[in-house]
Amino acid sequence: MPTLSIDGKKVVAAEGSTILEAARTAGVDIPTLCHHDGLEPWGGCRLCIVDLWQPGWDEDWFKLVTSCNHPTADGMRIFTKSERVVETRGVVLDLLLARCPDAPLIQQMAADHGIEETSYAPREEPDDCILCALCTRVCDHLDITAISTVNRGAGKEVAPPFHEAPPDCIGCLACAEVCPTDCIPYETSNVRRSIWGKEFEMLRDPATGQAVITKAQAEFFAGRGGVPGTYFDTSDTSKRREMAKKFVSLQILE
Amino acid sequence: MKMIYKVSVERCIACGKCELACAFAHGTEGKPAVSRINITRRGPELGTPVICYQCDTAACVAICPTQALVRNEKTGAVDMDRGRCISCRMCVAACPFGNMLWDETYHCVQKCDLCGGDPQCVPFCPTGAIAWVPADMAAIPPEVLDREELAVG
Repeated sequence: MPTLSIDGKKVVAAEGSTILEAARTAGVDIPTLCHHDGLEPWGGCRLCIVDLWQPGWDEDWFKLVTSCNHPTADGMRIFTKSERVVETRGVVLDLLLARCPDAPLIQQMAADHGIEETSYAPREEPDDCILCALCTRVCDHLDITAISTVNRGAGKEVAPPFHEAPPDCIGCLACAEVCPTDCIPYETSNVRRSIWGKEFEMLRDPATGQAVITKAQAEFFAGRGGVPGTYFDTSDTSKRREMAKKFVSLQILE
Repeated sequence: MKMIYKVSVERCIACGKCELACAFAHGTEGKPAVSRINITRRGPELGTPVICYQCDTAACVAICPTQALVRNEKTGAVDMDRGRCISCRMCVAACPFGNMLWDETYHCVQKCDLCGGDPQCVPFCPTGAIAWVPADMAAIPPEVLDREELAVG
C-alpha cells in the first residue's frame, strides 16, 4: 500500500485509491463540486487541485493535479493549501461566481475562500448550472443517457436532444438529486412526475395510492434483472402491512 | 459472539418508543414518520414491529446501480454509503418487505444500519419485544407477556 505525505501528515493509502480518497481518510478536507463517490472521477470542476511532488523530481518542482482522479503512489508529497493551490482555486471560484452569482452554494464556497464578489463581469442572464456534468454522468452511469452537454465554449449547456422531451428519460430524478446547486427543475407527486419537459405516470400502489418511482423506471430496472419486476408493484407501507399479516398467518400470534 | 437483532412480535404493545428513539437517533426532528423501525398496529396495544432484516441476498443491494449498499462485516448490517447514493429510489421500490424508506425531509433513503452495532431503539423497548442478543440465543422463544399485569388501573 502506497505511503505518502499530505500536508506533512503521513498517510497509508489503500491500493488503487486516488489522492482525494487518501486525503479524506486522513481527515484532510479538499473542496470539490463535480466529485461523487458513486461515479467515475471526472476532474471537471478543478476545485480539488493539489500540489504534487513525486520521487525522482527536482526538489523544488511541483505539479498541480486534480486530486479526484490522480492515483496515489509511494513517496508522494501532497500540499492541499500551498500558495499556488489557494490562488488557483480562488480563480476557479471567482469564475464560478461570475457564471452563477445567485447560487447559494457557490456564494458560500467563494465566501469561505475569502471571495465576496466576483472580479469578472457576471453573466447577464445567469442560471445556477455550473456545468459539473454530474447530471449527465449519473444518467450515463445508469445506461440511459437521456441528457448531455451540448454546444461548446460560452454556449455550453446541459440539455436533452434537440431541446425536446428526451425519449430515453425514465424519470428517476437522479440528475436533479445529484445536482450540487439544485438547478434542475422537476415536479413529482403520487400521480405524475415531470422533468426535462417529459411527463411520467407514477407506479402507484393499488391499496395506498403511494408511489416512489415512475412506470418507466420500473420497466427499465426490471429489464436490467437482479430483482423480479413484481417487487415494484406495491409501496413500502403495503409491504410492511403484508409482513405483519404474514406473522399472524404463520400463527406466531394469536 | 455475533450479535443479532431479535424481534419478539408477541411481546409488542405498540407503544411507539422504538420509532421515536430511531427518529431522534437518526434525525434532528424526532419525527416517528421517518423512523427506520415501523410498528404495524393490529389492535389496541397489539403491534408488529417491522424492521430491516439485513437479508443475506438482498434485493436492495442487487438493484442499486452505484453499489451504495454494502454489507458491514462487523455488524452484519447492510449499510448505506450516502456518498455513493444517487437517490434514484430503486431500493425503496425493490425491497420486498418495505424496509427501505424514502425520506422527503432529508431527500435521502433511510435504512436500518443497526446503529453501527448498538441499536438505539432496543433500550427503549419496555417489554423486550426488540432485543440485541448473541446469535445463538435468537431462537429461544420469548416468555409470554403478561398483559394483565402491565395494565394500569
